[in-house]
Amino acid sequence: MSVDRDAARVPIAPMHDAGVIDAARREMRDLAPDNARFGVAGVGLPPRDATTYYEQPLLKKPHWEWEVIVYLFLGGIMGGSGILTALADEHGEDAELGRNARYVAFALASTCPVVLIKHLGRPERFLNMLRIVKFKSVMSMGVWGLIAFSLPATAGATAQAARDGLLPKQLRFLRFVGPRAITNPLSAILGAFIAGYTGVLLSATAIPVWAKGKRHIPAMSACSGIAGACALNALLLEIGGNPNPVTRRRLERLELVASLAEAAVILDFRRHAGTIGDPFFVSKHGRKMEIATLLGGIVVPSLLGLLPFHAKWKTSLGSTLTLVGGYVLRETLIEAGKDSADDPRAASRQPE
Amino acid sequence: MATGFFTDTTICIGCKACEVACKQWNQLPGDGYAFTGNSYDNTVALGATTWRHVAFVEQMAPPEEPVGTSRWLMMSDVCKHCTNAGCLEACPTGAIVRNEFDDVFIQPDICNGCGYCVPSCPFGVVDLIGHADYPATRSFESDGRSTDDALQKHGGIAGKCTLCYDRQKDGLVPACAKACPTESIHFGDVDELKDQARQRVATLRASGVDAYLYGVDEDTSVGDLNAFFLLTDAPGKYNLPERPVLPSTHQRAGYTSAAIAAAALTLVGFALFRATK
Repeated sequence: MSVDRDAARVPIAPMHDAGVIDAARREMRDLAPDNARFGVAGVGLPPRDATTYYEQPLLKKPHWEWEVIVYLFLGGIMGGSGILTALADEHGEDAELGRNARYVAFALASTCPVVLIKHLGRPERFLNMLRIVKFKSVMSMGVWGLIAFSLPATAGATAQAARDGLLPKQLRFLRFVGPRAITNPLSAILGAFIAGYTGVLLSATAIPVWAKGKRHIPAMSACSGIAGACALNALLLEIGGNPNPVTRRRLERLELVASLAEAAVILDFRRHAGTIGDPFFVSKHGRKMEIATLLGGIVVPSLLGLLPFHAKWKTSLGSTLTLVGGYVLRETLIEAGKDSADDPRAASRQPE
Repeated sequence: MATGFFTDTTICIGCKACEVACKQWNQLPGDGYAFTGNSYDNTVALGATTWRHVAFVEQMAPPEEPVGTSRWLMMSDVCKHCTNAGCLEACPTGAIVRNEFDDVFIQPDICNGCGYCVPSCPFGVVDLIGHADYPATRSFESDGRSTDDALQKHGGIAGKCTLCYDRQKDGLVPACAKACPTESIHFGDVDELKDQARQRVATLRASGVDAYLYGVDEDTSVGDLNAFFLLTDAPGKYNLPERPVLPSTHQRAGYTSAAIAAAALTLVGFALFRATK
């Protein structure tokens, strides 16, 4: 497009000649491209009553990448597995489940710290986390909770390994280090904390969508963690051989209850959050969450569980879908937090 | 004695001497040559290595209105050094402390870069210093700087205004306040600054300017700000929150809700695992 240079030239006027300047401003507006973003003079300036600062973000985005997403996901399963050790009827049908859940809890308690240390800006300084115990800092509570959880988890798994004959003969005495009557309830209590606190970690921030979910996000984290633990343990038992059908049914039912509770919390959060919840619900992340978590991770496994027959593929598929749904839920929470930080309107009147 | 800033935006001329003085004194890297096209503000926001930022708001009148009704608002933004600081509460290492001047200070040799302070600041001030912000090839030790300084320069930790802790210890005025040519940035004892600021508001109101103090005597969970501002328009227009909320106030509801969910599901689990076959 060619521009008529004479028409585009702004007249030079003495400052007191208001009429000429007004004419120039009108001319500038008329010449501005139709797609000019702001509008008074049509020359890219925001209107005088603009409520934000050039639409710039007010808050800083959390710098949390896959490491934190993986931790939120694994931490939930770890905590849920701790609960399962206490639920399993070890002298009855669930002996295999108790054994399995202890190994899972130990494996995840060993993995999570590595992932967490990896995400630090200065990993060599991770021990600085242990300088203090700080009740006001959710992350400090999480670090100590994780350490506390790893004690009964490690003791329980070591004793289990000794009982299973996995340790050399000289170490068989270790079967006395983790009496189940002590390690199981401790794993359950600390596991419940781990599964839930990851939600508090997010909601106790200034990020609008997280802060708005101060009641919902911790609850959905706990529910999703327990459902994920049921799914992973069922999957591992299925892979490991023929699990006791009674245990399998119990796991399926607990997973169903936890998943439905999780769905109820997510849907109630949608109602409660309004437009502040848009980054979580109405976005490309939101669509992924609806498909992978609500539909794939909750509805489909629940329907599979209702089928009146048993098949290995059914349990394996349902469990895998539940796990994928749990991961996508955490991923969506983190990504929605980043988008929410970019919205200066939501950040201006912060959720109480 | 609590020290802080009273930034009077009505006499700020937007020269950005404070930004430059801060960068120079604290040896912070430049922000590049980005051109926003928004206003005479190409710094855009406070950041991990940008501890003063001059917001520049152009409020141009519609063409229908007479000339002279347009105006510029300039505000030199800085870390607020809140009475109840979200970053300080969130910090799991204790790297963020309140120093003897009652200012919020990040100890660069303690911070391990967990990043939890970043979403915990209701004002969007603190951020993580990227490793790329400081070229690793530079030898800081050979510059004759202290080891602490060298550690910080290699990035990976959180960064924000220190309220020139080092200068204050030597009895000097912070670099930004020292450089401000109009004394828009006042530094001193917070209580004295507040008295001074209230008088200034009264003077301005008497002459018809709609001025008020941001961060003083407000009923918010972050409390009074050690670095407060005199504004003449809504806070949002300067990219300040209308209503900042201290993030830790959400903890009680969060822990309660998590505990109820986990306990309820555990009870259901007990019922299922004991009663069903």
